[in-house]
Amino acid sequence: MGRHAEKNGRDWRLGALAILVALAAWQFIAAVIIRYPFILPAPTDVASAFFSLVGKGDIFVDLGTSLVHFAIGLGLALLVGIPMGIIMGWNRRIEAVVDPLIELLRPIPPLAWIPFAIIWFGLTTFSAGFIIFIGAVFPIIINTYSGFRGVPRVFVEAGKMLGCTKDRDLVRYIALPAALPSVAAGIRIATGVGWMCLVAAELFGVSNYGLGQKLWFYYSLHQMDSVVVYMILLGLIGLAFDMVFRHYVDKKFLKWRTGEVA
Amino acid sequence: MAIASLAVVLLLITAGCTQPAGTTTTPATGAAAAPVKELVIGYQPSTHQMAFVTAMEKGWWAEDLAPLGVKKVSDKVFPSGPSEMAAMQAGDLDVAYVGSAPFLTALGTGLDAKIVAGVNTQGSDLVVANSIDYTGPESLKGKTIGTFAVGSIQDTILRDWLKKNNVDPDKDVTIAPMSPGDAVTAILASKIDAVFLPAPSPSVVVNQGKGKIVVHSGEMYPNHTCCVLVVSGELIREHPEIVKQIIATNDKAVAWNQANLDEAAVIYANKTSAKLEDVKSSLAEWDGNWASDPNLIVDPVLDYAKIQYDLGYIKKQLTKDEIFDLSFYQTS
Amino acid sequence: MGDLVIKDLNQSFAREDGSRLVVLENLNLDVKDKEFVCILGSSGCGKTTLLRMIAGLDTSESGSIALDGREIKGPNPKIGMVFQEYSLFPWRTVIDNIAFGLEMQGVPREKRYTVAEQYLNLVNLSQFRDSFPSELSGGMRQRVAVARALALDPVLLLMDEPFGALDAQTRNKLQHELLEIWEKTKKTVVFITHSVDEAVFLADRIVVMTPRPGRICRIFEITLPRPRDRTSTEFAGLRRDVLDLINQHCSIQ
Repeated sequence: MGRHAEKNGRDWRLGALAILVALAAWQFIAAVIIRYPFILPAPTDVASAFFSLVGKGDIFVDLGTSLVHFAIGLGLALLVGIPMGIIMGWNRRIEAVVDPLIELLRPIPPLAWIPFAIIWFGLTTFSAGFIIFIGAVFPIIINTYSGFRGVPRVFVEAGKMLGCTKDRDLVRYIALPAALPSVAAGIRIATGVGWMCLVAAELFGVSNYGLGQKLWFYYSLHQMDSVVVYMILLGLIGLAFDMVFRHYVDKKFLKWRTGEVA
Repeated sequence: MAIASLAVVLLLITAGCTQPAGTTTTPATGAAAAPVKELVIGYQPSTHQMAFVTAMEKGWWAEDLAPLGVKKVSDKVFPSGPSEMAAMQAGDLDVAYVGSAPFLTALGTGLDAKIVAGVNTQGSDLVVANSIDYTGPESLKGKTIGTFAVGSIQDTILRDWLKKNNVDPDKDVTIAPMSPGDAVTAILASKIDAVFLPAPSPSVVVNQGKGKIVVHSGEMYPNHTCCVLVVSGELIREHPEIVKQIIATNDKAVAWNQANLDEAAVIYANKTSAKLEDVKSSLAEWDGNWASDPNLIVDPVLDYAKIQYDLGYIKKQLTKDEIFDLSFYQTS
Repeated sequence: MGDLVIKDLNQSFAREDGSRLVVLENLNLDVKDKEFVCILGSSGCGKTTLLRMIAGLDTSESGSIALDGREIKGPNPKIGMVFQEYSLFPWRTVIDNIAFGLEMQGVPREKRYTVAEQYLNLVNLSQFRDSFPSELSGGMRQRVAVARALALDPVLLLMDEPFGALDAQTRNKLQHELLEIWEKTKKTVVFITHSVDEAVFLADRIVVMTPRPGRICRIFEITLPRPRDRTSTEFAGLRRDVLDLINQHCSIQ
């Protein structure tokens, strides 16, 4: 146990060191080599832009607005994606019918849905959520249904021998828990992809707030130091979501997976 | 640990080393500046910039600049001013037909370029949905207006006009920044209350029966400058003869357009894939004027610079000499 | 009451070229209550197919299988099964696995766990009550599987080569344990195996099957008293008889 903790501590310090070195290199390149804040703002420019933005106060409203857009998109993706994945995973015929449609729609980038988002939903919060939904729903559907498809037959048959015979019960007591790691992986991927769609979602004037919206705002004013502030914020929050998955969800709900290989 | 300390020291030493916005390094001009082989002109699909389109399609840019050593003239289209100016800042454009306001914001963050001539004045319209009973600026309270991004002419004029009419542009209305394509889509789908866009977009909306023009931009700000002809600092310093010719070709195209409006409309519609009838109705109803004398626009542009400074869009007050180079324009 | 009557069982599968592969042909077998029967045969002789049909997981083309006079139409709680692969639900603890069948029957919580704990004790794994299957060794997992199958108190216990994946020592140990449990709980057991040694050690009767098509070749009665000594001459003699039969592909009478 001691060796494990020591190794973790060492990794943490190495990571921090790497970031520090990267920052120094960035500062050097920006300040000494390029010397044109439009082309590359230096970390110090970004830091001072950050403090003035915090002082203005909008940053917190931006954060809240973006989280609302994201929640709508991800929520909808869960509501649509998981049941669809379950049905497709459980019923071969439905999968055969629906799968080609999904394969056709999936490669269309969320950005390309903007015109229809405007036409169908106008310039509303829901419209922004829709763009995020487009990004998030496919990983959820696909991981859910492959999780269901991958449930070992022996579990289903053992379940039947133990009295679990109705389809609904088999899904609830056997398939769903067996597929949960896959479903969780799908949600984790969807969270990452959906968050990345935020910038596209806030591109077309759905709100005067939002991390993505402000990114475009400061880009229009050529204030790249502020643009970088918002880029970093987007990155950090995306990272935070992923860490929640890694350290909380995985540990709490999927601890039965850790086995002989720790 | 040693690396970390070195990194921190480096960080602290170079903090504040980046040059303040607005100053640029001037390249040394050698005895004979290198000839410009290819000239890239940026533009937006608006009838404001029809002179550029005509000259391009008729091959006049290439023709007139060839004797000066320019082997190729190519163009790049942009949906709006801010993106065009970002490209120019990145060095992708030598010449730009662009709104004066986005040029000013770019100048304020270090763009090396100047206005050498005007392109047009006025020519944008406020279009409201048919369901709105418009009786004046107060009718816009509580409504959403789609227009160009912050820093553009339209955004600047709209906000200023609303303020002058006691409508708070932040609290009483919602100004939603978006590309003109998205704005037109939104109002055609009846999903937005109003749009404020340059010609020919307003006519596109009216011809589809989805809106009515209620205010011309000239009413908001009489004779306001809209698009200007911007040329890179490098071109100005090293090839003044090219800059002179560019203006001359532009004027030639303006004169031809005015004399051959219908044919010009066809050329424009073909280049931009706009519908010919939208272009024609737009030319009939707009209040825009093509005019290239930069001396006439000095005051309006300086006023923009002040407005933008007051709005906090630019961090410093720009001077006339920073904005203009009037030496190239010659009254014929 | 665990009387099993298999009558005129036939099963075949369609091959890719359209012809039919006969897996079981006219199979007849009676298993008496509380008997321990081993089905022995090489791969492809249809023993797993037979077991699955007794379990109710597959249906036959023709013929019937009846338990205590009632025809088997599908899985039912009177028949328990231990599978060849590890079949414990990995997301459930050991005790929750054992209690699963009772949960499906709607037995209330407290009673469920009381019963499950009894069977947990039966397989001597009480201290692993709250562990997950991934934390157990192969032998332990199969013991839990046995407990889980027994928890519904079935009259018939089916086992499909349950110890096949284990090392020899664990295997021998579990065979002992299984016989102890069988003697305590008095179930009818149908046990499939590859191993002649295992069959001679465990069974009251050994049903030898041959493939293509799958049918019963011969049934050996093993009357040696238990616990059986693997090293005794009688044991070795029986082993040799069975092995010879198999090696000659069932041609000795």
